[in-house]
Amino acid sequence: MLSSEFVVRSKHINALNTELKTLNFSRAMIQEKIREKARELLSKKAVDLIIGFGEGSLPLRATPLFIRSLEETDRLIWNSFCENNLSTYLHKLSQFKVGLVVKGCDARSIIALSHEKRFKPDQLFLIGVPCQRMVDRRRVKKAVKGEILRAHEQGDQIIVEGEDFKTILKREDFLYPSCQGCIHRTPIKADVLVGDPVEEFPLIETYHEIEEFEKKSPEERWKFFEKESSRCIRCDACREACPMCYCAECFVDSSNPKWMEKGLSPQDLEFYHIVRAYHQTGRCSGCGACERACPMEIRLTYLTQKLNWDVKELFDFETGIDAETPPPLSTYEIEDKQEFIK
Amino acid sequence: MTAYILHFALCIEELMMENPYLPIPMVVKKSHLETTDRMLRTLEFSFINEKDAKAFHFIPGQFCELSVFGKGEAPFGIASSPTENGSLKFTINKAGVVTTTLHQIEEGTEVGIRGPLGNGYPMDLFQKKNILIIGGGFAFTTLRSLITFFLHPANRNKVKDITVIYGARTPGLLLYKEELVEWGKRSDIKLVVTVDQGDKDWKGKVGLVPNVLEEVAPSSENTYAVICGPPIMIKFTFPKLMALRFPNERIYTSLEKRMKCGIGKCGRCNIGHLYVCKDGPVFSYAQLEKLPKDY
Amino acid sequence: MKWKLDKKDFKPFLQSLMVEYDLFAPVQLAEGVSVYKKIDRPDEVDLSSSNTQKPTKEVFFPQSETMFRYEKTGNQHQVTSTEEVERKRVILGARPCDIQAVLLIDQVFSGKEYTDVYYVNKRKATTIIGMACDHPLSPCFCSSMKGGPFHREGSDLLLIDLGEAYLVELLTEKGMTFQKNKFFKEALAKEINSAKEIEERATKKTDGSLPVAGIEKRLDQMMESPFWERVQEKCIGCRICTYLCPTCHCFDIVDEALTNKGQRVRNWDSCLSSLYSQETSGHNPRPTNRERTRQRIMHKFNYFPKNFDRIACVGCGRCIIYCPVNFDIRQTIKEIQNSILQNEK
Repeated sequence: MLSSEFVVRSKHINALNTELKTLNFSRAMIQEKIREKARELLSKKAVDLIIGFGEGSLPLRATPLFIRSLEETDRLIWNSFCENNLSTYLHKLSQFKVGLVVKGCDARSIIALSHEKRFKPDQLFLIGVPCQRMVDRRRVKKAVKGEILRAHEQGDQIIVEGEDFKTILKREDFLYPSCQGCIHRTPIKADVLVGDPVEEFPLIETYHEIEEFEKKSPEERWKFFEKESSRCIRCDACREACPMCYCAECFVDSSNPKWMEKGLSPQDLEFYHIVRAYHQTGRCSGCGACERACPMEIRLTYLTQKLNWDVKELFDFETGIDAETPPPLSTYEIEDKQEFIK
Repeated sequence: MTAYILHFALCIEELMMENPYLPIPMVVKKSHLETTDRMLRTLEFSFINEKDAKAFHFIPGQFCELSVFGKGEAPFGIASSPTENGSLKFTINKAGVVTTTLHQIEEGTEVGIRGPLGNGYPMDLFQKKNILIIGGGFAFTTLRSLITFFLHPANRNKVKDITVIYGARTPGLLLYKEELVEWGKRSDIKLVVTVDQGDKDWKGKVGLVPNVLEEVAPSSENTYAVICGPPIMIKFTFPKLMALRFPNERIYTSLEKRMKCGIGKCGRCNIGHLYVCKDGPVFSYAQLEKLPKDY
Repeated sequence: MKWKLDKKDFKPFLQSLMVEYDLFAPVQLAEGVSVYKKIDRPDEVDLSSSNTQKPTKEVFFPQSETMFRYEKTGNQHQVTSTEEVERKRVILGARPCDIQAVLLIDQVFSGKEYTDVYYVNKRKATTIIGMACDHPLSPCFCSSMKGGPFHREGSDLLLIDLGEAYLVELLTEKGMTFQKNKFFKEALAKEINSAKEIEERATKKTDGSLPVAGIEKRLDQMMESPFWERVQEKCIGCRICTYLCPTCHCFDIVDEALTNKGQRVRNWDSCLSSLYSQETSGHNPRPTNRERTRQRIMHKFNYFPKNFDRIACVGCGRCIIYCPVNFDIRQTIKEIQNSILQNEK
């Protein structure tokens, strides 16, 4: 898994330090700006509803919040636990004008969805938040002995308290791997940015985990995947959390032709994850929602990262960066490479 | 084409209690198309083991889960009457994997059934009453069972007047055409067959079932109504029944719901706290009024 | 008389059990992820987490279970049922909430008219060694649902972790057959007292204040309430809550087939799945997430109580902990109880 060393490009050290110093201030400011914007949009009736984040009912959690009135805007929050990709809700809200709070990765999903014509042009108002990277709540839980009863952020620290402990953790040590490698934290094509655009740099090389993984032999790599997928309980949370999975009939539910069974045979579990990852090729923004949703903590981002890397290498394409360029796997050009045709 | 019988042997060591998920072995005796659109086919099955045949007692309105090994199971109302000894008839609409296989199945092939399941029509309540039967389209299957039962000499005296209104979209889509002709000749049953749209050969009535009901205007006094049909037909026929002053307690219907186990365990077919497979599929409107509109 | 099992004797005790029984216990699949599995070696057992992901019911009602196999040989169809249980079983480490849930599901699967032999055979063959919760988690609300961290109903034996040893309570006839077990020693008075203190502390920790009284009657009036549209908005329709819920019992039956042989299998299913109530005609009585989440909540708090006099929730907290969007059933219960009904307006 991840080493705790950060490969920070030296020219970004100043930017990182500034970012760390101003975390508290910018978090509070972002939160206030989100509320302001929500109030403005709702009072002008520019949107039917706002989807943002609210206080979770458990420590280290935030929860998606749907608000329609001015009184509710004070419930909107912003912190390092706002980990969901809210664009997944758009598929069931096609008749409404929606104000959506988006991080960098979420905005990329929106651009990918717009290529697929999943919503009408002026249906969305994107409230873009330049992201300070999200905290991996599972790793925080595992770092302490005992149940965390309260948690809050202070600057670049996470302070967790239990019945008989209070521990201060360095926030930087507990970021999601996908966030550590992210270089698109400022939402692209947002209608408004509620914070200053951040300097884009990764804390570890963007595809670092995959590069390390590729050094292993094919047998070792398969063993890893076999072990991860063997835990799968077919709950389909990865699919539902993913904004790009919106097929009316998913391939797993097809009975004619029947691609796979509904049980827990290892072949079916492996087949499901491989095919679902492939269906994301050229469409995945690397938001990590799939992995974060999985109750069995399967490392799904290994698959998506690898495919994203391949798409970058083979087609020089990254999902959701450019609203004009369509995904390479949904277009055909005469000049497309054909070496695989023998 | 030689038909060959596949024998079905159950290999169970010591059965502690009866396993309700194991199908009873049956063989396909006959298969013929019912409708001109080729979507409805009646299959007749007979029991392979005599002891299964002897133990199988059912009443009209009950259903069975038909098992096609390798394809799956699906529930079908029993179209034959308990008076038609030795075999069971089902009319099957070709819609999915199991039903398509049943449409293509050869006579002599072995299948399984689990049943009889469900509550069936309230035969006790029908005693000494008039019966009004309203059917639409291919929901007529269990109504055939009910009518055939009461027309049998041993049972005809159990009920008073029998009125049947049966409608289909076109003449070709009527089920049990030969039987309809036979019933029409009888004096102890009033049969009105209607179609939404006639054709050049059709000499019978043309009209939607709700309108025909209004026309026939059977008396609701001392009468039980049984109505089975597509939702749209029920939606427009029900107010006509109300206008004829049928109370909810005397209107019965057989509900459709996606089912799996058929015995109230898998949870799927619930309407509120009742299960269509176990507490139904036959319900009175008085019962349905108290249940959530979850069907 | 109370017994104890020294922790140094724990593995030998398990080893001795495995001679006679198939032993099922929590096994760690990854850090923080554990499920019940059949144990091959005592060191596979992991009792460190407060609860497994998949609940104890899985031992009686596996997520994927073959019901019968069939084989076509020439003109014969050979059907072999898999309902028999080969060996006696012991479940080790089941939490009181999960055991309560098994008692609830018992009522569904056993029955005068039809008996689910697959479930019942396993139940009959199994001895349950429960593990009391000395450190319940804060989302646990078993005490509000007629349970509690030391609730004894359903356990044949109950283990209480005293630190160096487990206090062992033999609760049923099946449990009493363990009296002569060579690893059980007589518990000392101070150990028994220590267990009492742990029980008191733990029971205080769980939330017993959730207002569930009368929720069934309240829901009777809420079937068409706009409440359902609102409450389900953030639900993404994944099935985690139903798959990890110890009282959920819905399943699907399918055939898996090769040319001449195959099997009929039952797999867990969920009312939250969009195809769950899809009818062949194309009609779906529960077309959107609104109807489906309503079904789930009504089933737990209204339909099941109508049939069995108990709310189908044991307060284990899994649906709260694992929901990707932090849907909290405790909040939903409070909202239902506080909702203004038509006739109260």
